[in-house]
Amino acid sequence: MSDILNIGASGVRAYQNAISTVSENIANSGVEGYSKRTTDLSEVSAATSTITRREVATASGVTTNGITRLGDQFKEADVRSTGSDLASSDSSIQWLSQIQTALTGNQLSDQLTTFFNAATAVAADPSASAPRTAMLDAAQGAADAFTSTGDALAQIGITLDATAQNSVATFNGLAASLAKVNDALSRNVPNTNGSAQLLDQRDQLLEQMSAIANISVTTDDFGRATVRVGSGSGPVVVKGNNAGSLSYARGNDGAVAYAVHFGGNIVTAQISGGALAGIADGAQRLAEAQGQLGQIAGDFVDGVNAAQAQGQDLDGNTGAPMFAIGSDPTNVTVALTSPRGIAAAAPGGGSLDNSNLANLTAFRNSGNTEGNVTQLVAETASALSAKQTVADAQASMHSNAIAERDSVSGVNLDSEAVDLLRFQQAYSASSRVIQTARDIFQSILEIH
Amino acid sequence: MQISTNQFYDSSLSVMSQLTEQADKLQTQISTTKRLQAPSDDVVAYQQLQLLSRATANDAAYTTNVSTAQSLLNQSDSTLSSVVSQIQRAQELATQANSGTLNDSQRQDIATELNGIISSLVSLANTTNAQGTPLFAGSQGTQPVTQNADGTVTINDTGNATAIPISDDTSVVAGNTAQDVFGGVQTSSGASDLFSILSTFANAMQAGGSGATAAAADAGTALSAALDHVSNAQASVGAREKRLTLVSSAMTDMAATRETQRSSLEDTDVTQAITDLQKTMTILQATQASFTKLTSLSLFNYLQG
Repeated sequence: MSDILNIGASGVRAYQNAISTVSENIANSGVEGYSKRTTDLSEVSAATSTITRREVATASGVTTNGITRLGDQFKEADVRSTGSDLASSDSSIQWLSQIQTALTGNQLSDQLTTFFNAATAVAADPSASAPRTAMLDAAQGAADAFTSTGDALAQIGITLDATAQNSVATFNGLAASLAKVNDALSRNVPNTNGSAQLLDQRDQLLEQMSAIANISVTTDDFGRATVRVGSGSGPVVVKGNNAGSLSYARGNDGAVAYAVHFGGNIVTAQISGGALAGIADGAQRLAEAQGQLGQIAGDFVDGVNAAQAQGQDLDGNTGAPMFAIGSDPTNVTVALTSPRGIAAAAPGGGSLDNSNLANLTAFRNSGNTEGNVTQLVAETASALSAKQTVADAQASMHSNAIAERDSVSGVNLDSEAVDLLRFQQAYSASSRVIQTARDIFQSILEIH
Repeated sequence: MQISTNQFYDSSLSVMSQLTEQADKLQTQISTTKRLQAPSDDVVAYQQLQLLSRATANDAAYTTNVSTAQSLLNQSDSTLSSVVSQIQRAQELATQANSGTLNDSQRQDIATELNGIISSLVSLANTTNAQGTPLFAGSQGTQPVTQNADGTVTINDTGNATAIPISDDTSVVAGNTAQDVFGGVQTSSGASDLFSILSTFANAMQAGGSGATAAAADAGTALSAALDHVSNAQASVGAREKRLTLVSSAMTDMAATRETQRSSLEDTDVTQAITDLQKTMTILQATQASFTKLTSLSLFNYLQG
């Protein structure tokens, strides 16, 4: 009799556990990073009766072995690596698009065209003051466009540094949290709700870290993660309950360097994925754009000033420099103060001589300043456009990887509903077994 | 493959955001009438558009120069016509003086009229243009001719006439210098200028006497050479005006061609865009409807009671 009662009681206990796991799944179905859990049930191993020496197997009910968390570490790794790639491209796109806007926003090329065409107007009437004033204004416009474009690029550099520092700080915070999770995992009982929770946290932290920098992860028997930055041979940033930190530096040449500080050692990290890789990419493109713009500005100033020097102004003096370069290579200012200073005439030519302006036109054609500006924009735009195409492909790879992972570890409410019904019925039936046992026992007592 | 509930909501959201983004892009293309919003949308088109826009800006500057040159040449043309009338009047006087029937008093009247013609020609030679600079000045920009105290006229060396650029590699000389128009007349006694011819003639008339008729005959020959010289200058001005008319109409044609190219590169095909927008909106509505239907499907709905 007590056997039946025990079996019934074990069933009630087991299915209570199972229903509570299903309820947990349902309650967390909308929680990011939650992996579906199942209750691991098994029959209590049949004990052999030795007293009677008859080999009778006695059934003893059901028992809960523990909670199984449905996770697949390979699929998790796939989600992380595709996520790193996508985050890297997204971050590149963000910076390249800002550089593109900075390069086109001040309409540098149009301002240069206006300047050269103002010279064409001066050539039609070299002694009049109106076209000369217009040309000097256009010169100011061109100088301002160079300066503003340079400033806009420098501003991007400042934002880029701040963003990189924030991302690095976030990464370091995640690494510290992961070390705590590792610590908790080493003291936790496996196959419990508690350990499942810790593993969920671990995977979520790893996913967040991989969005910032690509990482290589290995796990031990306790589920504790060892994280290396970059490839499998990169420097360790989290091991056991110790976390290191990542640092960011951008040199004067615009090159970005990352290093991992762990246990007193500083090792350079090669980051090829995640937002930080995109930042490095953006920094490189930014440095190129700044260098090229400075070169274009310098060539333009030299060319125009050389053309000025070959001629004479309205007062018969040798043409003075029209532009000057300030502290920064892109910081162009107008040095000429009077419109009369524009050297339209060849040396010895009079007020109606415009032959020296031909030298400016010759420089316009040979120097191709406007074309070089267009080329600079086009290079950035090509890089951006290529990244956008790649990002589209990476986004679909990433969502496929997530779909693959979630098909294993995600919660589907319909299947939970089915399980709920299944375990509820089993629970009811087990209760009925207890009642039956009581009824049987009662019947025995009622025998007179 | 089992679709987790979270995954279903996420992917539906992502699909609907993509459709909304697509609709927004089309809406921007329609409202701005521009297919390209940033260079990265089409790098090759961007580079072509930059070249086109630069060519358009250049042509705008050259068109202004062409108009300036046209108005200068126009003014030269009419001024030269006045010069021609003055020479013709002097020729009439030379014919009269050559007839041998005049007395000294009549010759003095002719001399007076000739001096008047010289003054008119000096004034015509020093005509200024709309910008206030002398029409017949060279690059020096100084006054083209000076009448001296003794009545003689000096043609100043003012350099060459200014060439106005009308395209990247061509320019037009939008005028003649006084030296071109009034000087360099080939006469029987060598190169001379219109003012010398007229003052020699006027002086001979003033002096009167037996030499006057022969001087008038010489003056008649010299004046017809001068007339040819000025007419040639006028014909050259006319030819340049004609050339500018052709250049101007070529620029208009080029501008139209460039506009067609620009439009095909940059402008939104509105019909296409509206059709695409309609299609995108239909798909979005269908997605929203199916999403609503699918989310209402849950086994839990049947587990009540």
